[in-house]
Amino acid sequence: MDDKQQTEKDQPFQFDGWMKTSTAFFESMGKMWTDAYKTAGIAPNVRKSEMQESWETGMKTWQSLYSALSDSSSTDNFDKSAAMLPDIVMKMVQNGISGFLNIQNQWLQKAERVGQSTKAYSFENLDQNVFKAWQELYDKEFKQFLNVPQLGLTREYQERMNRLTDQFNQFQSVTAEFLYLLNQPMEKSFKVLQKELGVMADEEKLPDKSKDYYQMWIKILEGHYMKLFQSPEYIQSLSNTLGVLGDFTAARHKMVEDLLQMMPIPTQTDMDELYKEIYLLKKRIKVLEKQNTS
Amino acid sequence: MNSDQMNQHSGGKIPVNLILSNLAKDAEKARTRVEKASDVLLDELDTQIAATPYETVHQEDRVKLKHYKPEGELKIKTPLLLVYALINRETMLDLQPGKSVVEKFQKSGVNLYMIDWGYPTRKDRYLTIDDHVNGYIGEMVDFIMAREKVKQVNLMGICMGGSFCVMYAALNPGKIKNLITTVTPTHFDTDQGLLHVWMKNLDVDRLLQGYGNMPGDLMNFGFLLLNPARLMIDKYVGFMENIDNKAFVQDFVRMEKWIFDSPDVPGETFRQFIKDCYHKNLLIQNKMVIGGRRIDLKKITMPLLNYYGIYDHLVPPAACEQLTSAVGSKDTQDMSLKTGHIGIYVSSRCQQEFTPKIVKWLMERDQPLKAVRKRTTRKKTAAKAAITKKTAVKKPVTKKTATKKTVSPRKMTKKLKGDQ
Repeated sequence: MDDKQQTEKDQPFQFDGWMKTSTAFFESMGKMWTDAYKTAGIAPNVRKSEMQESWETGMKTWQSLYSALSDSSSTDNFDKSAAMLPDIVMKMVQNGISGFLNIQNQWLQKAERVGQSTKAYSFENLDQNVFKAWQELYDKEFKQFLNVPQLGLTREYQERMNRLTDQFNQFQSVTAEFLYLLNQPMEKSFKVLQKELGVMADEEKLPDKSKDYYQMWIKILEGHYMKLFQSPEYIQSLSNTLGVLGDFTAARHKMVEDLLQMMPIPTQTDMDELYKEIYLLKKRIKVLEKQNTS
Repeated sequence: MNSDQMNQHSGGKIPVNLILSNLAKDAEKARTRVEKASDVLLDELDTQIAATPYETVHQEDRVKLKHYKPEGELKIKTPLLLVYALINRETMLDLQPGKSVVEKFQKSGVNLYMIDWGYPTRKDRYLTIDDHVNGYIGEMVDFIMAREKVKQVNLMGICMGGSFCVMYAALNPGKIKNLITTVTPTHFDTDQGLLHVWMKNLDVDRLLQGYGNMPGDLMNFGFLLLNPARLMIDKYVGFMENIDNKAFVQDFVRMEKWIFDSPDVPGETFRQFIKDCYHKNLLIQNKMVIGGRRIDLKKITMPLLNYYGIYDHLVPPAACEQLTSAVGSKDTQDMSLKTGHIGIYVSSRCQQEFTPKIVKWLMERDQPLKAVRKRTTRKKTAAKAAITKKTAVKKPVTKKTATKKTVSPRKMTKKLKGDQ
């Protein structure tokens, strides 16, 4: 770093100089405006445009602010604050990074646990904590933002949008868990196959046809799936997935309906109401027909 | 490294040379198969399903009534109405000429009618079980009776269609001469089949709020998940192994056409079926109510033939076999075949005994009432002997066996296993 750069760095922030320059610039802009009127031959007593009035009011406010800030104590405070700014920003970034690293660390720990092997043909007490951890994290850290009450004219639309976002996230979460469970038999079956082949190799009983290897694997895989499908973890996950799928689909339909309402297209709710009326009318007609014929 | 060196390298335990030579053979076979496969796949394939000629004689909304005229002499006077499930389509009973339940009935001199439920749309979401049972089935039964000038029809149901037939027969016993239920769930509180286990935990309200109807594709995905190793992998490996076999490919494509032809199930019907049957098991307890009327199975007094598959993973034997002891009929018969849910209708082995047995059973009962009474009395004696023999065997008394013992000895409950 050369001497010139060092000197520039040591100098305090030239707030006063910057304020003077800014004020002079905006004053000359205002003057240009008045001059332009004169050049165009518009009498000075003619009513000023709204824009010019706003400009002049703004300039007056700026000048008052300037005189207040020009006070030596204010300038000092501003200088100090400006000097502290990098620290504040640094602290904010540090907090953010620290939070992020914490989450990442938790995730890594969970991911490690997911990688840990589980016993073959056993699906009880599977470590699905990573999905629960994500669900908890989502519920505590993200979901609450989507539940913030919306205000104003577009309140209902925004709430429906938030609900859809929430349902989509929930759906992603439960689907990930469901797919993870479905993948378990695949992984386990290959491990069991490897072990069995090892034993067969030791006993010199390895099959010589590729089809036999496939048949062995598919039987092992089928066994693993049968075991998985009866496990409480899978049953719960399946039930959650279907439930959340229903919630997400309903939220999506509501959102689409908001868009459809702007167009001359009937929504599904409109049609459902119509279908119900037709259904009930048909039933009544049938009853009346029967009464007439009997 | 040659194969002998490889064998030495592995300590001689692994027949590497043999494995490699077999792999080479397999690769050669696969190459030849793929060459032939392109000829087969590009050739004209006969994959038509539901090829048996029929006439649509009646239609109510989207629901059609198909009529298959009997070939040759009419052997059974009372017409037979087939009611398929709302899940998948009735074309399963007519997959292919020569292997068709419908065709076999037709050739056996049965005057056959079959309900085609069509494809429910969103507007059908409010249809309840009552609308299907007392509405559509009732309408079709009345139409057939008027058309054929008969006072009763024979009713045969498949799977969920069988449950509907049980409901209809209980509410309208006078209109049904004989009842045949095949792979029909009536007792839902069992853990034997995965479907029963899964359905118990299904929040049907949440699912239907978004969909309205139960999507057929979603159900099919569920069925595939019942055995992904076989249904999503092994099945297609089998297809690839036989891809050069035209007859195999044609049969395979027919089955694929049927299996993925899945109409949606009307929402309210699905909701009620899950809640009243799978969750509360009301039907077998005589507590189910449709259209404001309670279904009392004791009102089923007509002869009942109850077929199910021993290896059925969708509707396991435990879900089917309680029906015969729950009904009021004195002429009931359980028939189990060593097959799965679909095998009863499509496997060549089962087809040889399934349809002929039903035709024979119907013919025996398609006689004047006096003759039937005489035959029933004779069978009742046989049933008495069988039950006496059963109770003589010392078994720990469980809830189920206790229930079986309460069955009246007057009942004609004969269990015939598939291997007999």
